[in-house]
Amino acid sequence: MKVKFFAHLQTFTGCDGIDIPVSQKITPDELWAALEKKFPGILHYKTPTRLARNFVYADTDSVFHDGDEIALIPPVSGG
Amino acid sequence: MNSPLIEIRITENALVPHEPVANGSGAVVDFSGIVRGEEHGQPIRALEYQAYQPMAERQIERLIHELLAEFPCTSVRVSHRVGVIQVGECAIALQVAALHRGPAFSFATAFMDRLKQEVPIWKVKAIPSTPA
Repeated sequence: MKVKFFAHLQTFTGCDGIDIPVSQKITPDELWAALEKKFPGILHYKTPTRLARNFVYADTDSVFHDGDEIALIPPVSGG
Repeated sequence: MNSPLIEIRITENALVPHEPVANGSGAVVDFSGIVRGEEHGQPIRALEYQAYQPMAERQIERLIHELLAEFPCTSVRVSHRVGVIQVGECAIALQVAALHRGPAFSFATAFMDRLKQEVPIWKVKAIPSTPA
C-alpha cells in the first residue's frame, strides 16, 4: 500500500511517500500506528489531517487494502 | 439546458485569462486569485503551491457538480497554478457563465469557499522579499 505525504508532512517525514506492506486490510487507526512507528511524532499531526483512499476522502469507518493509494491530507490552503 | 461545459486545469505554467464564452449565457463572472505581497504580515516575493493533482482534479469536478445542482450554470472553467508564483501573478482563475447573474455570482462564491476547505492544494512556502 502506497502512502503519500504533502505539504509540511513531507518536511516532517523527509519524503513524499512510503510503501507499507499490508497482508489484508488496515484501519485508519492501524495505519496511523504504523506510521508512528516509522515516523515517531507524526501522531502530533493526526487531528487536523484527513486521510484519502484512492483520491477520495476517507472516514473513520474506512478500511484500506493492499494496492490502495492512501494520502495524508493536511489542512488545505489553495486558491 | 444543455450539459454545462466543465474545464479543469492544474498547471505549473502562468495562467492566461479564460476565453470569453459564446454559449448564449447572459452572465459571465471571472475571478482571479492574485498572490499578494505579504503573508502573515511579512513581505514576500512569491508563494509556492503544491497539489495532490489527481485528487485535486477529482475534488474540483465533484465540487462543480454539487454546486451546479444548486446554482445552474452553463459553463465552469477552473485553472489553478502550482509551483512558485510571483507576487502579482495569478494563482487561480475561475470563470462561471450562467443565463443570469444570480447563479453565476453564487456559484463563484461558493466554489471558492469550498475549494479552500476541500481541495488538496497547499501554499507550502512563502518566499520572503530580499532586502534591497
